[in-house]
Amino acid sequence: MAIVPKIDVGDNYKEKYGFFDPEKYVFKAKRGLNEEVVKEISWMKNEPAWMTSFRLRALKVFFKKEMPTWGADLSKIDFDNIYYYLKSTEKQGKTWEDVPADIKRTFDRLGVPEAEKKFLAGVAAQYESEVVYHSLHKELESRGVIFLDTDTALREHPDLFKEYFGTVIPPADNKMSALNSAVWSGGSFIYVPKGVKVEIPLQAYFRINAENMGQFERTLIICDEGSFVHYIEGCTAPIYTTDSLHSAVVEIIVKRGARCRYTTVQNWSTNVFNLVTKRAMAYGDATMEWVDGNLGSQITMKYPSIYLMEPGAKGDVLSVAFAGKGQHQDAGGKAVHVAPNTSSNIVSKSISKAGGRTSYRGLIKVYPGARNSRSFVRCDALLLDENSRSDTYPTTEVDEEQVKIGHEATVSKVSDEQLFYLQSRGITRAEAETMIVNGFIEPFTKELPIEYAVELNRLIQLEMIGSVG
Amino acid sequence: MGFTRDAVERLSALRDEPAWLKSRRLESFGVYERTPMPDTRRDADWRQVDLKGLDLESFEPFQQPDGAAPAPSIPESLGVLAQRGTGAATAASSAAELERRGVVFCPLWEAAVRHPELVERYLFSALRPDRDKFSALHSAFFSGGTFLYVPDGVSLERPLVGQFWSAGTGGSTLPHTLIVAGKGSRFEYLDEFLDDGAAVSYVALHRWGEQAWQFAGQRVRLNRDAQFQGVNVGLGGRFARLRMEALLEGEGSSARLRGLFFGTGRQSFDFRTLQDHLAPHTTSDLLYKGALRDLARSVYVGVVRVEKNARGTSANQANRNLLLSEKARAASEPILEIENNDILRCSHGATVGPVDPEHLFYLTSRGIPEPVAERMLVQGFLSEVLDQIPVAYARQVVEEELARRIG
Repeated sequence: MAIVPKIDVGDNYKEKYGFFDPEKYVFKAKRGLNEEVVKEISWMKNEPAWMTSFRLRALKVFFKKEMPTWGADLSKIDFDNIYYYLKSTEKQGKTWEDVPADIKRTFDRLGVPEAEKKFLAGVAAQYESEVVYHSLHKELESRGVIFLDTDTALREHPDLFKEYFGTVIPPADNKMSALNSAVWSGGSFIYVPKGVKVEIPLQAYFRINAENMGQFERTLIICDEGSFVHYIEGCTAPIYTTDSLHSAVVEIIVKRGARCRYTTVQNWSTNVFNLVTKRAMAYGDATMEWVDGNLGSQITMKYPSIYLMEPGAKGDVLSVAFAGKGQHQDAGGKAVHVAPNTSSNIVSKSISKAGGRTSYRGLIKVYPGARNSRSFVRCDALLLDENSRSDTYPTTEVDEEQVKIGHEATVSKVSDEQLFYLQSRGITRAEAETMIVNGFIEPFTKELPIEYAVELNRLIQLEMIGSVG
Repeated sequence: MGFTRDAVERLSALRDEPAWLKSRRLESFGVYERTPMPDTRRDADWRQVDLKGLDLESFEPFQQPDGAAPAPSIPESLGVLAQRGTGAATAASSAAELERRGVVFCPLWEAAVRHPELVERYLFSALRPDRDKFSALHSAFFSGGTFLYVPDGVSLERPLVGQFWSAGTGGSTLPHTLIVAGKGSRFEYLDEFLDDGAAVSYVALHRWGEQAWQFAGQRVRLNRDAQFQGVNVGLGGRFARLRMEALLEGEGSSARLRGLFFGTGRQSFDFRTLQDHLAPHTTSDLLYKGALRDLARSVYVGVVRVEKNARGTSANQANRNLLLSEKARAASEPILEIENNDILRCSHGATVGPVDPEHLFYLTSRGIPEPVAERMLVQGFLSEVLDQIPVAYARQVVEEELARRIG
């Protein structure tokens, strides 16, 4: 057998994403969570009174709600040991020159400004709790597209903001959405006017630098009738021995005939708990697409969902999860059919290796009256070694007769025949495995902008090489 | 009235049970008293179950009917044991043949006295009384029941049948079936649960059905190279919960599980299945199919678990639901938990939907009236499982009942 170059996955993450800068801040809230901290965040942001009371109400809900008893093991999270708000710079940059040098260096290393030049129409970069850089093509701005960080949007577009904020995911939806509603900071606000198609993707990059940090961005996207937008988010963090928490809320409204695609390449370091609530409302003939890749974090619990509110609405979820040593990816998708003639399609691909665990968890719900709804869920899991684990927990609740619902799942290993075939062509076992895994997740990579696809393939290749030999 | 400690003592005294059995009953009663009713909102095992309207206090803990069960007659069987409540069993068995081959087939209370070495060892070795309130209730108050022991290497060509008759409303029927299959033995066994007048028309069935709550647990432990084939048929009851669990503990063992149900009126079914692969080279294959009409509903929750050292496993699980009315409703939750990668294949599938309109179109385009075409499609859908019911008598009973319900 060929000698396989051994590259440790953790080491590689460390040099590429896992570096950290000395912590600098202009304001840091006290460790832990209480009314004072929440009031302080709101005061720092100079928010209107309604938002302050919204936050305080949400905090009460958070304290009242119990932790979920299902899904991944969250008992390790110590809510009292987390910093809920950290502001690292006084003002937001419109050009990279405005961004403090050390923060800019971080995003340089992550390749954000370079990607912006090459293939993005707008970029937001969030560092700890606040968005430190923001840009949008002049042309889009002139067509009425709004792409701002959520805090600025609250100040500059208060009416639009208030009309939609918290309507898709109310604070009481679950414990984590209540937490986010109480301490949210940063995130993206996008409004695409009627008929405007944003052909080039917008991107946000989320970076946690400090230890024991909690990042709670809040994203709100409104696609007005007949519009289109593709939003991409990426995220990384340094590797610490203590845990950090990332808990976002993403609300999306896709109006009649509009289409929204939301792509995530989640690559948090393995000390981050990633507990995210993402939900979209799709109205008449609208299309919502979640393309959700989960490679990093210690524990992820995230089930992007689509509420199909009016006839002709369509929803797609494409979920890919990769769990290595010590990781548990509890991911999936939900489609809720409220109106007749709606369709949804969920495809999940998961890979577990080196003791990692992937779980698909999903829901298909059809309410009475949602006649002629169609939904299909397909889950494929690949187990690369004996110590890894894969679970599939789909739930189907159908309260309407004239519907067609299907679910199929398989769990398998890399087949010996495929390996034998490739090896007989002179390809080493490690390369062959990598090729098979890349082929397995191709439905995902082919949906990514090319630059991301290349990057993802490279990531998985590195992860794979460490796995054999 | 009600399930009390005193009632346990009275029940135990009826048959003069051995001390070990009585103390097990009392112990289980303690568990029953301590255990709250399942929380159908929080407890994953009971999610989507509607227990409203069930009042355990309203039931007689056991039945002492006047008459024994009707004398059974199933010509093709090797033996039938019919029981009603705590009454005496009536049997129609080829006793001589069973005895000659060392087979024990008798009411459980009798076996507890005559074969304590077998009964004491195996009774409740598969089902734990402390699992939930109903398991505890059953362990404390099981009355009537069948014991079947087939020695090593014995194979029986004709099936054995246990029949349980309920003596009307307000009572509880808690029979316990214990089957011990020796190495290399081979046989078929049929459990039949009947209301008085089960053979009468649909309406009567429906009326009884409105009132019966059923909680059934089946657990099969398979040793090396053992094979099990089980079919569950759900037709009656206001609420019927059937738990079928196959533990593949021995290398090379295999289980083939089939389920068939047809709900009408306000019937509600709740199926929970487990295919637990604990040993290498084990195989399981599950198929539960059912149709729902009127306001009937069903919940299917099935788990396939492949444990750490179960290499070379193959598991399949499928649940198919046909909705035949606007208000019928089905929920399906097939679950996979795989901890070993050296598996041949694990897969599952679930579907919920009406009769395929394309199939319907095809048949009607051939001049078949729509109601007839629909009937044919439902029959065809259900026959996949119906044809696999191993005992001819049971197949016939189910077929007739299905024909009546398909209408």
